[in-house]
Amino acid sequence: MSKNLQNSSEEAENATPLQVPIKRRSFFMYAGATAAATTLLLSGCNDDDDEPTNPAAGTVSLGSGDVGVLNYAYALEQLEAAFYAQVISNAGFNTAFPDAAERAALTAIAKHEAIHRDFFKAAIPATSAIPALTPKWGNLNFGNRTQVLDTAKTFEDLGVAAYNGAGALIQDPTYLLLAGKIVSVEARHAAFIRDLINNGTFADSTAVDANGLDKAMTVAQVLAAAQPFITETIDGANVGK
Amino acid sequence: MNILKLLAELAEINPNQLEQSAPRREALENLSRFGAKALAAALPFGLAALPAQARTTLTILDSLNLFLQIERLQEALYSRALALTVPFFPADPTFRASVAAMQRHQQQHIVLLTDAITSSGSTAIAAPNFDFTGTKNGTQPALFANVFTDFDQFLQVAQLLEDAAVRAYKGQVEFLNNAFIVQTVLQLHATEARHAARIRLMRKQRGATVKPWPSPTDASITVAGKTDVVYEGEDALKQYLSNTRPVPFQLLPIGYPGTNILTQGVPEAFDEPLNTDQTQAVLALFSY
Repeated sequence: MSKNLQNSSEEAENATPLQVPIKRRSFFMYAGATAAATTLLLSGCNDDDDEPTNPAAGTVSLGSGDVGVLNYAYALEQLEAAFYAQVISNAGFNTAFPDAAERAALTAIAKHEAIHRDFFKAAIPATSAIPALTPKWGNLNFGNRTQVLDTAKTFEDLGVAAYNGAGALIQDPTYLLLAGKIVSVEARHAAFIRDLINNGTFADSTAVDANGLDKAMTVAQVLAAAQPFITETIDGANVGK
Repeated sequence: MNILKLLAELAEINPNQLEQSAPRREALENLSRFGAKALAAALPFGLAALPAQARTTLTILDSLNLFLQIERLQEALYSRALALTVPFFPADPTFRASVAAMQRHQQQHIVLLTDAITSSGSTAIAAPNFDFTGTKNGTQPALFANVFTDFDQFLQVAQLLEDAAVRAYKGQVEFLNNAFIVQTVLQLHATEARHAARIRLMRKQRGATVKPWPSPTDASITVAGKTDVVYEGEDALKQYLSNTRPVPFQLLPIGYPGTNILTQGVPEAFDEPLNTDQTQAVLALFSY
């Protein structure tokens, strides 16, 4: 225990984000500000000796512990960012989306997703971060409004369900809060895209269940849905463990 | 749970539900489903029995009661609008249908949260009276005098409450050191975010300068010293990986030109939390 604390304060100098002692007021409220609780949680925060280990060719391991969850989010944000970047840079963008307000909104979403992607890249220790993934769009026609919006809806709903399902896996309250800051923006995207497709479907029964709960999906469920869009094989078996 | 007791509790804790007749059956059906019971079961044993005053920090129950008050506030706003007999909603039926859908979700949230609290052996906090004009039952000048006669003003109040709800859930989530409750709260939180985006889009469709996500470019709908607490700190330009390490957005390869990445894109890309005091301040605006 004391060794963990000592290591943590030493490592603060190195600014390794997951191992810096958390000084936020909210953390102490969360931990009850007792030494025992703080030590316990810091021990939990250190549970990330999880560098991807010699993955098979073409396989990307997300790792374990909090780093695994951050890499999981990073993978999904990479996918979303790449998708919207392709949407707005496509030669047929103006034709597919003749409404300037729609183009402006999709461009704003593209920026949000790029910011999320690069946020995770900055948050994950460089030695543990997954590499840039290669998206795979198949027969998706980026000049077709319906296809673009349907794919956007798939990605946004999937992203929300992924964060909803993975939040409880996060040990470090700072990163749980950051996931919360991001997931509500994703849910706003999802509602907006849905309304572009069919006005008023922002939170229909395919998105929100009979208890009023937005969907939550496990890592395995999300990766199964995302894998067809990613060239590399993603291994998320140890995320959050 | 005894059905008669349940009905009494529903009537007692949520008088506004009487303003809408249909959802009672749906609410009862929901109780038999997975969510509420599992949420109650997930409450740490013994924590529920502790009076809040005995702890110096927030308990999960404090958080659930806070959510319950926010949900009741929103549900009452929508119920009262839906119960109006004078023409109020725009001709396009999608507007009313969206408000009805959101009211239904808030009712489901009230049932879920109330059942979690009562099933864990505690009592849900008493519901206050609501006054959506902001006069506190005629004791001070109105903030939204025409909330139930002017649909655009109604949407402004709805936006304030939905955005505040998203922020309130977010502000509590890191205190909920229980995996099942964290997930449930995140699921409630995301539904609120969908609502907030919908309300914002409805306002945009009616000509307001507003985006589905809070943006520095939104036209302000708040009054300084009163309703501005709803967006206090929402347009944060920085995010912190720890106390000492701000995310260097200016150095990141975000890949889009222009300075508004830092001044507009970043604050849009992250929704910020409201703490308990801020959330109570929002509740107080429309309660007496």
